[in-house]
Amino acid sequence: MRHWTPGQWVVRLVVLTGPLLALSAEGLQGDGPGWPLLVIVAALSAAFALYPESPAGSVAFVLVLASWWEGGAGLVDASALLAAAALIASHVAAVLAAYGPDDVPLDREVTLLWLVRGAAVFLAAPAVWLLADALSDQPEQAGVWVAGVVAATTAVLFAIVAGRDREPA
Amino acid sequence: MEAQSSVWRPTGSLARSVIVATVGVVASVVGGRPVLLVLVAPMVVTAAFALVRRPPGRPSAHVTLGHRLLHEGQGTLSRLVLTGAEGAEQVTRVAAREPYVRVHPAAGRASRLVAGGPVDFEVSPRRWGRRTLGDGAVALTSAWGGFRWGPVTTGGDRISVLPTSVPYGSRAESPQPRGLVGAHRSARTGSGTEFSGIRGFEPGDRLRRINWRVSARSGRLHVTTTRAEEDAGVLLVVDALADHGRSDGVDGGESSLDLTVRAAAAVAEHAVRQGDRVSLRVLGRDSRQLGYGAGWVHLRRVLGALAAVQPVAAQDGEVERLQLRAAEGTMVVVLSPMLAEVLGTVTATALRRGLPTLVVDTLPEDAAPAVTRGTDPVAADLAWRLRRLEREQVLSSLAALGCPVVPWRGPGTIDEVTRRLARRAQQPRVVVR
Repeated sequence: MRHWTPGQWVVRLVVLTGPLLALSAEGLQGDGPGWPLLVIVAALSAAFALYPESPAGSVAFVLVLASWWEGGAGLVDASALLAAAALIASHVAAVLAAYGPDDVPLDREVTLLWLVRGAAVFLAAPAVWLLADALSDQPEQAGVWVAGVVAATTAVLFAIVAGRDREPA
Repeated sequence: MEAQSSVWRPTGSLARSVIVATVGVVASVVGGRPVLLVLVAPMVVTAAFALVRRPPGRPSAHVTLGHRLLHEGQGTLSRLVLTGAEGAEQVTRVAAREPYVRVHPAAGRASRLVAGGPVDFEVSPRRWGRRTLGDGAVALTSAWGGFRWGPVTTGGDRISVLPTSVPYGSRAESPQPRGLVGAHRSARTGSGTEFSGIRGFEPGDRLRRINWRVSARSGRLHVTTTRAEEDAGVLLVVDALADHGRSDGVDGGESSLDLTVRAAAAVAEHAVRQGDRVSLRVLGRDSRQLGYGAGWVHLRRVLGALAAVQPVAAQDGEVERLQLRAAEGTMVVVLSPMLAEVLGTVTATALRRGLPTLVVDTLPEDAAPAVTRGTDPVAADLAWRLRRLEREQVLSSLAALGCPVVPWRGPGTIDEVTRRLARRAQQPRVVVR
C-alpha cells in the first residue's frame, strides 16, 4: 500500500465503497441490510480493493444482489439506480486498478476512456428501470422478462461466436 | 531480447462481470425481481463488449536499446516493440529495478493506450560496470478489459558501461620516454623541435640543420641539434582486491573502486591523447593484463577492461607472484587505496627497478569498513583503525623510497607529480637490478 500512487488510492477507495454504497442504497426503499451482512461485504470489499483481480469482488457483488433480492420484493425505485451506479463504478475502478502493479500510475487517457465507458454502460440501468416501470402494471411480467433475457442472451452468444470467428486458425 | 510466449487469457474483471451478470439475470428471471436486472444491466453490457472484443493472434514483445555503448551518466532510449498485438487496447510496462540504473519516467512504470504510441523508457546507468538495461515485464489488455496477455518478462541487454573519463590538458612530460615517435622530449638528440645544442658538422647531417651564423663566425660548418620526441609507456596498475566506501553512482559519493576505475580511465585517455602506449594490469582474482597499445581503439579496450573490474580478493600468493611487465622508461601508475600490503610490495619493486612510479591514493576520506552481520562493531572499528595506521606506514615507506603518493582529486591530479618525476629523471641515479 505504501507504494500506491495517488491515483491508485482514489480508484481503490471507489472499489471499496462501491459495494457498501450499493448495499446501503437498499435502505432508501425500506429496511436496510443487517449489520452482519454489512460487515461481511465490507471485509470482502476491502479484499477486493487490495486485490482487484480476486474473486472477493464477485462474492461481494453477489451478496449485494442477494440482499436486494431479499428486500426488493419486486419493487423498482430510484435507489436501484444508485446501487447500479455504485456497482459499475466499483467494477470500473477495479479494472483500472488491475491494469498493473500497484505502483503504476494511472494513465490519464485510460482513465478518461473508462469514465466514458462507465457512464455509457450505466445508461443500461435507467433503460431497464424505465422498462420495468412501464411493465409494472402489465400482467404476465415474468414471461416478458424471460423473453427479453433470452433475446439478450442470444445476442451476446451471437456476438461471442462472431468474435471467435475472427481469430486466426 | 524477446518476451516469452503467452496467450490471451480472460481477466478477473471479465470473470467478475460475467458471474455477476449471470447471477443477476437468472435470479431476476427466476425470482421475479426486475430490480436485480436494473442492478446488473451495466455489467451485462460490459461483459458482452469484453467478450466480443477478444483479440486474435499471439503478440510478442521485445525491447531495443538506442545505444549499446554508454559511459556512466549517459542515457539511451529503451523502446518496447510489439508485434501481433492487434486488438490490444492498453499496455503496461514495468522496468526491473536494477542497481545503478535510473529509469524515466515514473521510475520505469507505465500504463497507457497502445494507440498512444510506443512505451519508451529513458534508461541511464549511473555507475560503470556490467549492467542490464531494458529488463522488465509487459502486459497487454484487450478492449473493455476482457483479456490479458502476460505479464511476460522482456529480458534485457547486458552491456558494459564505461567509466567516465574527463579529458584534461596537461603539459607535464613523461619522465623517461622510450619510444619511436611521440610528444615527449627525450634525453637524446633527434629530429624534434626543442633546441639541444650546436656542434660541428658530421657526415650524414641534414643541410637544413646547418647553423649559418655560427658556421660563418667560426669558419667551420656547425649544425643545430634538437632533442628527439618520443612516445612513452604508461602502465596502469588497478587495485581491485576490495571496494571500500559507498558508491552512489556518477553523481553521488564514490567508493574506492569508483575512484580507482575513474582515475585509471582519465589517465588512460590522457595518455592516448598524447600518443603514448597504455597498458592495464588489474589486481584481483584472475589478475588480467591488457598489453601495450595506443590509439582510440586501444583506449576503448582499456575502458572495457575497466568496466569489467569487480572487487574480488585474490587467492593466497596470487598477487605476490605478480610480475609487472614494464619495459624501461615505462611510467607505472598504481591506483589503489593501499590497504592491501601486497600493493606496497608491488610499488617498491617497480621503484627498485628504476621505473618512474607514482601512487594515486583512491581511498575516500569517509570510507568505512564493510562489516558483515554479527561482527562486533567496536572490534570492526578497532581493526579498521589499525589497518589505516598500517596504510599510513606503507605510504610513508613509499615516500621515503621516492615514490610520490597523491590522492585522486579529478583530472590533472598527477600533473605536478609527473613534472617532478620528469625533472628527477634528468638527474643521475643508481638503479638496482
